[in-house]
Amino acid sequence: MTLLQAAVPSVATASPEPAKPKRTWPIPVRIAAGFLLLTAASAILAPLLAPYEPDAIDLNASLAPPDGAHVLGTDQSGRDLLSRVLHGAGPSLVAPLALLALASVIGIALGTLAAWHGGWVDAFVSRVTDVMFAFPGLLFVILIVSVFGDGLTTAVVALALAYSPVVAKYTRSIALAERAKPYIDAYRVQGMGGFAICVRRLVPNLAPSLIGYLVLMFGQVLMGMATLSYLGFGAQPPSSEWGLMVKEGQAALVRGALWPALVPGTAIALVVVAFNVVGVRISDRLGVRER
Amino acid sequence: MSRTRTRTFAALGLAALLGLSTACSDKTAGGNPAAGTPGKPADLALTDTTAKGTGPVDSVRWLLAKEPKSLDLDVRSDSDSNALLANVCERLFQTQPDLSMRPHLADSATYTDPTTLVLKLRAGVTFHDGSPMTADDVVWSLRRHAAEGRNESDEFERVSTIERTGDTEVTVRLKEPDALFTKALAGNAGVVLDREQAEPAGKDYGTPGRTDACTGPYTLKEWKAGSRITLERYDAYWDKSRKPLVRSATFGWADENAMVNSMTTGAADGTYLTTMSAVPPLAGNGALTVSYGSSSRAWTLIPTERGGMKDPRVRRALSLALDRQGIAKAAFAGLATPWKTPLGPGAWGYEKATFQAGYDALQGAPAQPTAADLDAAKKLVTELGPAAPTLVIANDGTPTRNLIANAVVDAAHRIGLKAQIKTMSGADFTSLYTDQALRKSVDMFADDWYISKADPAGFYDNALTGSNNNWVGFSSPEYDSVVNEALRTTDDAARARLLVEAERRFTADAVWLPLVQVPNVLVTSTKLTGAPASMCNVAYPWLADLGAKG
Repeated sequence: MTLLQAAVPSVATASPEPAKPKRTWPIPVRIAAGFLLLTAASAILAPLLAPYEPDAIDLNASLAPPDGAHVLGTDQSGRDLLSRVLHGAGPSLVAPLALLALASVIGIALGTLAAWHGGWVDAFVSRVTDVMFAFPGLLFVILIVSVFGDGLTTAVVALALAYSPVVAKYTRSIALAERAKPYIDAYRVQGMGGFAICVRRLVPNLAPSLIGYLVLMFGQVLMGMATLSYLGFGAQPPSSEWGLMVKEGQAALVRGALWPALVPGTAIALVVVAFNVVGVRISDRLGVRER
Repeated sequence: MSRTRTRTFAALGLAALLGLSTACSDKTAGGNPAAGTPGKPADLALTDTTAKGTGPVDSVRWLLAKEPKSLDLDVRSDSDSNALLANVCERLFQTQPDLSMRPHLADSATYTDPTTLVLKLRAGVTFHDGSPMTADDVVWSLRRHAAEGRNESDEFERVSTIERTGDTEVTVRLKEPDALFTKALAGNAGVVLDREQAEPAGKDYGTPGRTDACTGPYTLKEWKAGSRITLERYDAYWDKSRKPLVRSATFGWADENAMVNSMTTGAADGTYLTTMSAVPPLAGNGALTVSYGSSSRAWTLIPTERGGMKDPRVRRALSLALDRQGIAKAAFAGLATPWKTPLGPGAWGYEKATFQAGYDALQGAPAQPTAADLDAAKKLVTELGPAAPTLVIANDGTPTRNLIANAVVDAAHRIGLKAQIKTMSGADFTSLYTDQALRKSVDMFADDWYISKADPAGFYDNALTGSNNNWVGFSSPEYDSVVNEALRTTDDAARARLLVEAERRFTADAVWLPLVQVPNVLVTSTKLTGAPASMCNVAYPWLADLGAKG
């Protein structure tokens, strides 16, 4: 490309440079990104935005349909669903974020270690992750929760452990390719230690790929957290975490009241869709996603 | 198409579906039960039994709320196992659909003196293996029920000896007069088992794969663990005057949603409901008949040993602040009644007017707290000062208990008490009755209680000093004196007056915190009829009354 540009006659250089193609994001991606920003803002500003306290019960307004007083209706305890879904955005988004951060730290460390050392270390880490892959993830999480007790923190740690082999596998595969590049040998020749090369050069160079991959994973992780809460292993009452809200709202279905389950269910679905749409775009831009 | 994109489209589709469903959902589900649903229980027509069945039925599919843990009622009993085994095992006395009791396997029961009960056994009774019921079987069965650790052992606390005193005679000697003992014999304490069958089975009796050792009109054909239990009509049943119309009954179990779906689609033929929120969708279905019967069942908050509820001022304050009307509406679809005692009116088997007057006079458990109630509650909390506890209420995540837990926390907060919810597994929740260490982790839990004896005396002994179920440590010499006197008094009118006094003291100290009373609910296909609607279904062979509608 450089050579070609160099061969262009001077006349051409005198003419104005061709305008760079605009890097515009498609409308669905903009909408999804806007929705995610809105959701994040709602989570932060919930105490200001929510018309009611999320735990304020009004038994006489049990299962009230959407109206002026309760825009999205109420649940069986008469709690305002809009307020709960707004307050629930916090734990519903922060827990998967924390989970992903923890899974990333463990997974990236293990994956890099395996790729860098090779040999028996690689074999050991790979076999351990293979075993963890072979073990049903949900069962593994339930086992951990059974031993250490339920609650959001335990669920986050348990799911992080379950997801870390996924991150480790991916990290190992891209780290192996990166490790073979000449600049790594150059740092070695300069006398830089293996740990320093990994921390200061290798992993930072893997970051774009990893970020794209993790953004794509976020929706899946959010669903995982919601599932755990739905099963009773994650957030506990009276939390307004969305998975728990779906569980609590399920009981109203037999009474013909769909909104207590559908409002948080819709929130989960929309956030997962938005993350997938944005994640696909980011991955494409970073060249992560396989086509 | 990549997997991510597939997931995206799937999620978008789901979101669209959810939105559409929300828009189309029943707008009347909350404040006002839908058309065709019943009103408040006070407006419900309670019936002891449904119209007599006339036609034979080859098989019925019946639903329980959950699979029984055991079919040995001495080991474990609950509404489901009781309702099932009521058709298989019989008692010395039998509860009738109107909740009265009469001798059954016993031909007569006579007190020869205040502490000696002579039971004359009915002749011709046979077990399902064809062997005759003997006095030895009765003695062995009663001693088995009375053994320490057995479910019914508390019914035998006043029993001194149980002896065979003739070929068809058993004599029970009491340490002191016990007005309730013959009534207990209509419950699980009066079940007669075939010793030759049950004794060799040991701990395996009542487990899947075992036969029954009973005398009832139905026999246990199969228990396929995790799947179904099948009962079959016992054609050689000893009581020839009774001709059951249903040949075979298969019992399955389902949670609330699945139960509603099964009943409305015709996958099941009937059920006794244990949760009220399933009633509205079933009552509105033209292919089903929903009948309501008298019940002693009431939901209460049961305080434990943890200590938060030890001080009666805490219990009284919380009782004053609870919104029972709201709980009845929100948790029980408006089908429950705010209630002031731990027993429903189905327990008033005699002297109803006396019990009703006593109930009406009770204070301290308002349907909906007034400003004055809340002020009084706050005053009690203020008296506690820094000693005011942080209350912990157990929750098993089921919709009813979840809502009650929320309501308790809300009530506590309104009067300045701190409260939190501790959610535990269903198994742990059930173990609260037996595991003291688990109980010490919570201050109270909500549960529904009923008594199989239509006599409030059968309940109030639970709050006697040192009673097995008196976990909060309530102790009142005056209360003990009144209840013990009632338990010794065989005259119904005198006993009723004593029990009204016991009830007043119990409520004044809020030993337990009553919430709501619920009717017994029977749901059947419109093609079936005859089963009793009252809560006798836990001790009366209701399946033998069921038949096809003429």
